[in-house]
Amino acid sequence: MIKVDKKTKEQLINLLESKNIALEGNIVKLFDPDGDPDFEKYLKACSEKDKESRKKRLEITRQVQQQNKELKELNGENERIMNELKTTLDDVEQSKLTYEVQNRELNEWKLDNIRLTEELKVEMVKSEQARLEAEQAKTTALNDLDLLQKKTQTELIGTIVKVALLVILSVGLITTGLYVTAMFTGKDTQIIGSTWSNMFGILLTNAFSIIGTIMGVKYASEKKEE
Amino acid sequence: MIESILLVDDEDLFHLVFEDACSLLDISLSLKSMNSADEAEKLFKKWFNENSPEKSECVFVDLNIIGSSFDGIELIRKINFEYGNHVVIGIISSSDEPTEQTKALQAGAQFWIIKSDNIEPRLEEFKKDYEGYKKRTAPFKVYR
Repeated sequence: MIKVDKKTKEQLINLLESKNIALEGNIVKLFDPDGDPDFEKYLKACSEKDKESRKKRLEITRQVQQQNKELKELNGENERIMNELKTTLDDVEQSKLTYEVQNRELNEWKLDNIRLTEELKVEMVKSEQARLEAEQAKTTALNDLDLLQKKTQTELIGTIVKVALLVILSVGLITTGLYVTAMFTGKDTQIIGSTWSNMFGILLTNAFSIIGTIMGVKYASEKKEE
Repeated sequence: MIESILLVDDEDLFHLVFEDACSLLDISLSLKSMNSADEAEKLFKKWFNENSPEKSECVFVDLNIIGSSFDGIELIRKINFEYGNHVVIGIISSSDEPTEQTKALQAGAQFWIIKSDNIEPRLEEFKKDYEGYKKRTAPFKVYR
């Protein structure tokens, strides 16, 4: 324990009374009042003052501790939110990348489509041209066939006409020859005369019939074409 | 009254709380605070080598001391078995884990004080039991 002389005690007591300056801390507990009631009262006052200030400090420190605790919790919550935000941003970035890749693929598909459409158009034009050429060829072939048929028909008709005319002329000439021979040789011409006349009539009639038939066939063919 | 106390805790604000609470309850006149288990180990090593009379009479150690290479239980083990036997030593922590308390007991801790907003009642109770800890007659106790 610490003992002090009377003069120091009085100085300490005066300092407290005049300027409110007191001893603080645990050192107050180490002073011995040494039976001096004034100094004992002084030490008690110092101790009370020290306790009051310590209580205040303790209260403030606790408040700061509580605030620190709350701040730590808030900081933890902030960090959690920041982490969530970062995760979300990463997800968005990932989605963006996926979207960009898909978009690129779609663009490539679109370009392929456009290219294929262009190629298809070209092929369609070619196909249309081929169809027109085929139709043209078909028309030409049909015309050629028709022409050939007509030519054949004409040749056939010509042959028929020639043969028929040849037969008519031959029969006419033979009959006429026989009739002329009979007249110049003095033979009976009655039978041959009527025969020649009938034959000639028949031949003439047949000749006109043939011509009529040919003209009719020709007319019918022309009408069918129309 | 305890002659000198050493507090090892990483929370500086708790140093102030503990000092004021000890002063108000007249537990100790001298309090030394440290915020690292490594520093505390060095100090005890020095005291042990020099057989220093400055050695604290009672040590309060936090369980998890952030920034230290080992925890409070390991510090207690080192102090008890390597450097500073015969000091009253225990844990002061907000944790109330029975497994940790068992470990602390095995390391030589004599008490476990739960840290909370109002620590004075526990310190007062501890003050009453202190003589038993000093004489090594009081059993391990958890102050809730």
